[in-house]
Amino acid sequence: MALSSTPTHDGSAKRHEAWLKQKSRAVRGALSLTATSGLIGGVLLIIQCWLVARVIDAAIIEGAELDGVWQWLWPLLGIFLARALMSTITDRLAFEAASRIKRTLREQVMARFAARGPRWMEGQRSGEIANALGSAVEGVHDYVSAYLPQKQLAAMIPVAILVAIFPQDWVSGLILLITAPILPLFMIIVGRGAEALSQKQWRRLALMGAHFFDAIEGLTTLKQFGASRREAEAVARISEDYRSATMKVLRVAFLSSLVLEFFATLGVAMVAVYIGFRLYYGQLDFLPGLFALLLAPEFYRPLRDMGANYHARMEAIGAVGELMPILSEDSGEPDNEQREGSGEPNEGSGEPNEGSGELKKAQALPDRPIARVRFEQVSFHHGPTAGGEESHGDGVEAIDFTLARGECVALVGPSGAGKTTLGKLLLGFLPVSDGVIRIDEIPLPMLAPDAWRQRLGWMPQRPTLFAGTIGENLTLGAPESTRDDIEAALRAADALDIVHKLPDGLETWLGDGGSGLSGGQIQRLALARALLGRPDVLVLDEPTASLDAGTAARVLAGLDRARVDTATLLITHDISAARRADRILFLDRGRIVEHGTPAELEAASGAFARFVELAERGVL
Amino acid sequence: MKTGMNDMRRLMRLFRPYRIWVVGGIALGCVVILANVALLALSGWFIAGMALAGLGPQSISYFAPAALIRGLAILRTGARYGERLVTHEATLRFLAELRVWFYERLEPLGPAAMDSWRGGDLLARIRSDIDSLDNFYLRILAPVINALICSIVIVAGLALYDGRVAALDLVALLLAVLVIPLMVQKFAASAGRGLTEIRSALDSAATDTTRGLGELFVLGAFERQRARVLELGERLIAAQRRQMWVGAIGRALSGLVGNLAMWGALVLVIPLVAAGDMPGPQLAMLALWVLASFEAVAPLPMAFAAFGETAAAARRIFEIADATPAVRAPDAAIAKVPACFDLTLTDVSMRYRPESDWALQDFSLSLAEGESVGLVGESGAGKSTLLALVQRFREFQSGEITIGGVDLREISEATLRQTISVVAQRTHLFNASIRDNLLLAKPDASDDELHHALKLAGLEDEISNFPDGLDTLVGEVGTRLSGGQARRVAIARAFLRDARILLLDEPTEGLDADSEARVLEALGKLMQGKTTLLVSHWPRALAFVGRVEKVGHEPLHESRS
Repeated sequence: MALSSTPTHDGSAKRHEAWLKQKSRAVRGALSLTATSGLIGGVLLIIQCWLVARVIDAAIIEGAELDGVWQWLWPLLGIFLARALMSTITDRLAFEAASRIKRTLREQVMARFAARGPRWMEGQRSGEIANALGSAVEGVHDYVSAYLPQKQLAAMIPVAILVAIFPQDWVSGLILLITAPILPLFMIIVGRGAEALSQKQWRRLALMGAHFFDAIEGLTTLKQFGASRREAEAVARISEDYRSATMKVLRVAFLSSLVLEFFATLGVAMVAVYIGFRLYYGQLDFLPGLFALLLAPEFYRPLRDMGANYHARMEAIGAVGELMPILSEDSGEPDNEQREGSGEPNEGSGEPNEGSGELKKAQALPDRPIARVRFEQVSFHHGPTAGGEESHGDGVEAIDFTLARGECVALVGPSGAGKTTLGKLLLGFLPVSDGVIRIDEIPLPMLAPDAWRQRLGWMPQRPTLFAGTIGENLTLGAPESTRDDIEAALRAADALDIVHKLPDGLETWLGDGGSGLSGGQIQRLALARALLGRPDVLVLDEPTASLDAGTAARVLAGLDRARVDTATLLITHDISAARRADRILFLDRGRIVEHGTPAELEAASGAFARFVELAERGVL
Repeated sequence: MKTGMNDMRRLMRLFRPYRIWVVGGIALGCVVILANVALLALSGWFIAGMALAGLGPQSISYFAPAALIRGLAILRTGARYGERLVTHEATLRFLAELRVWFYERLEPLGPAAMDSWRGGDLLARIRSDIDSLDNFYLRILAPVINALICSIVIVAGLALYDGRVAALDLVALLLAVLVIPLMVQKFAASAGRGLTEIRSALDSAATDTTRGLGELFVLGAFERQRARVLELGERLIAAQRRQMWVGAIGRALSGLVGNLAMWGALVLVIPLVAAGDMPGPQLAMLALWVLASFEAVAPLPMAFAAFGETAAAARRIFEIADATPAVRAPDAAIAKVPACFDLTLTDVSMRYRPESDWALQDFSLSLAEGESVGLVGESGAGKSTLLALVQRFREFQSGEITIGGVDLREISEATLRQTISVVAQRTHLFNASIRDNLLLAKPDASDDELHHALKLAGLEDEISNFPDGLDTLVGEVGTRLSGGQARRVAIARAFLRDARILLLDEPTEGLDADSEARVLEALGKLMQGKTTLLVSHWPRALAFVGRVEKVGHEPLHESRS
């Protein structure tokens, strides 16, 4: 559809197409097979035209009866069938080639996830990456299955036809030969103008086209301002502008196909007229003349079909724009791979200081539970790589503290103080810039990431529930959990009633983003999930954020019971949650400014006490 | 099927103002097809005639046909360009008409129309449905009518030369037009079933993976998720493969039918030529004529395939458009304007459907003018319902709501909107400049007023730091603005609006503590002197109000000073 062509930005189209071509090289064999099969179809077509010409020639010129032409009519039927078969086979081969590329691309995107890990997601727009995995991969399908084979055929079939025509009627062959290069040439000239124009206007067009949907999405807001009637005029006006602007683009864009069609049709007409006159003057026999006439439109057809596949190319270029940044080699920093390679030097690629730097081999954790986590002069600064506007978490400076098994340490402080950053450093989502985190004396970077994660439980600020049943979601980290384990975890997170109220209980299917559940319910289920794996170290980021006071109190009580076997790092700006911790670290601008038991700090009338006072007055 | 046809008729009625463009596009389309058939048939006749004339005594007047061939070539090309322009013009004019038509029907329904459709996919649904309908003319109407007209002309023309060839062509065309596409559609429908589901399952698995990557790693579940995504990818390919087969076989069969028809024409006509009952050149002409006739129907399988989708889209769009508004506007004659701005709810009960439970039951609340009240309650207790009732987005079954003693039902919509302003968790920012988004609240506001409102909302410095200042585009999903900034733009709008009653719906939800503090500071200023109803469960936000009421089953009266 001309109305929904894909934008190409600022000359990147060429780079995108080159990338896609390079990816397509992996299925070169399948594509050649597709083209060969298409070429066989083309050769069959040439034979068909010759047989038809032969039959008509016999009937008209030689005055043959029907009995005299059956010898060509029967094979003709065979050719028809063979062509139908070949066209099906070609479609099938093209489909398989495209499917293989899509499969590879999906595997590569997933492999990129595996290799880069969560650290890579920091500062990325997750929506764009999700889109890459879903629709962008699909976006290359038609390019591979239709555009690429057609491009090869557009070169091969006309040549085959020329080879067939020249010995029969070189004049027609010459006409076709001369007009053929003119077509793509004109197409390129006109097409380039159209493309430049659409690029310039694309943004404007897209904005105008989307205005209507924006108005519908914002209908409630429009209503609230009493502006919804007025907006109807805007919808009318902008739709009208959209029409005239689009038509301006289309008038030029259609010129390229006008040129193409004009030369193709005129070429056929010229061949017909020239053949006619040479027949009239006896310079040509009827059979080769008719044969050339029948083939003339077929000569141009692949080129015309190319024009129809232009849209597939534009779509693929748009899709590659999303895929390329993810799959190209230099994006992000490695997370998992780096530690497996033995003796890989520290290049300062985001990990300038891997602990003491002497140990290179991943170290195993002892089988017993982790007894102690220690932050030693840990700092984190943002590298220049901070690409997105999304917060990476803020920097921290010279953080020193110990978190022991059975203990709960609360990180409290104003927003931007670095609380979440500390959590992410412990989780390994962010690299420590300076200092070291020791897990039972082993520097964190020396641990195999998988082994470390097995000991971790984490509930982020905005947890994700995955498509699947509630039960599957809960047991994601601990698939072998018994029903009792699940119930215990749910009880600790005050989430038992959520499950009990649902008719299908644990079997309830959750769609996109846990649809049907409130934010507080999602949070409690995610907490249950984090507890279910019986982690040695538990990182909770604002576990009571979307809960009302009663639920929050029940959740906190549940956590009190669960934390006996766990070292808990509780990130919160909820005072009542902080008060339940064994110790509080008060963070401000990346530094620990105060630490002690809740009672001590409240009595000390320091930063925490002020914080409590402000929070209670609701001024904060 | 019957409602489908009715919907289509109704859809076509929307085209009425543009019938000249519609008919023009179809006429030009027919010219293209017929010129092409004529060109091929004439060429065949011409060269066969010329060959015979070159061989023997028959003479031929060749100037006219030679000129005609060139003329047809030019006609076909020109008509094709014209057709594309005119059909797109018709489509775009229809698109404008359809959008305005739909908007005007959706607008009175208000937000109620949106929530009665489940989930957030309503908008996506409308988007794709309107897109389908946008292309109704281009993809369905024009090709179908073109094929119909051209087939009749082509077959009638053939009948002038030979009735049997005409009959043969008719049968073959019907096969290609109806039988094969219907078969294809039937198989495509069964092959396509599941395709949409698998695709959306894959999309949501992809979203899950990126959003929850950290959790997947910590839980050690990434490998399972990877397997799941790749498996869904495989299932998608398998479903697409079934569809590919259906399409490929349909295309091959259509081509085969066209070839067989030409073959049949040869078999029928050759004896006539041999017997001298028909001049030789007509054999070449008729064979090419029959072969070319199939170009007229080539786009039909795609049109049929699109039909089901378009009919379903039309059904859904008409269903929305035909819905009755949830609330009735008061007669202009009885409409009253409240003189003061206290807000009273007395024993208000509301349920969404007669068969459902009460969403709000016998709820009473009274706010004196200038008083601020916080509303708390578990989710689902009826807080959002209550706000929707006060905004007159929803009807309630019993009880009474009054503003300044005037029954809410007797206040005109324009007055009500002037009286109430809202700052909500989800206030839509339009994909336009910040200025336009602010002007929404007060279309005639001066720049000074805008800056003042931004200042009050604590946003002036940040906006001034944007490269384009007030003219900065908000971006598709508020990309340039953080959540807190977007919320404060909404507050600036409320300052501009300066309505006497203020509804605050979870105004700090989803904000981090820092943004929350700034938003609360701005709200504190905004609330001064206004009758304010605040829905929140945040103690810090509730600290701003004079008293807190609980919505739900056990009433709670907690008063603060």
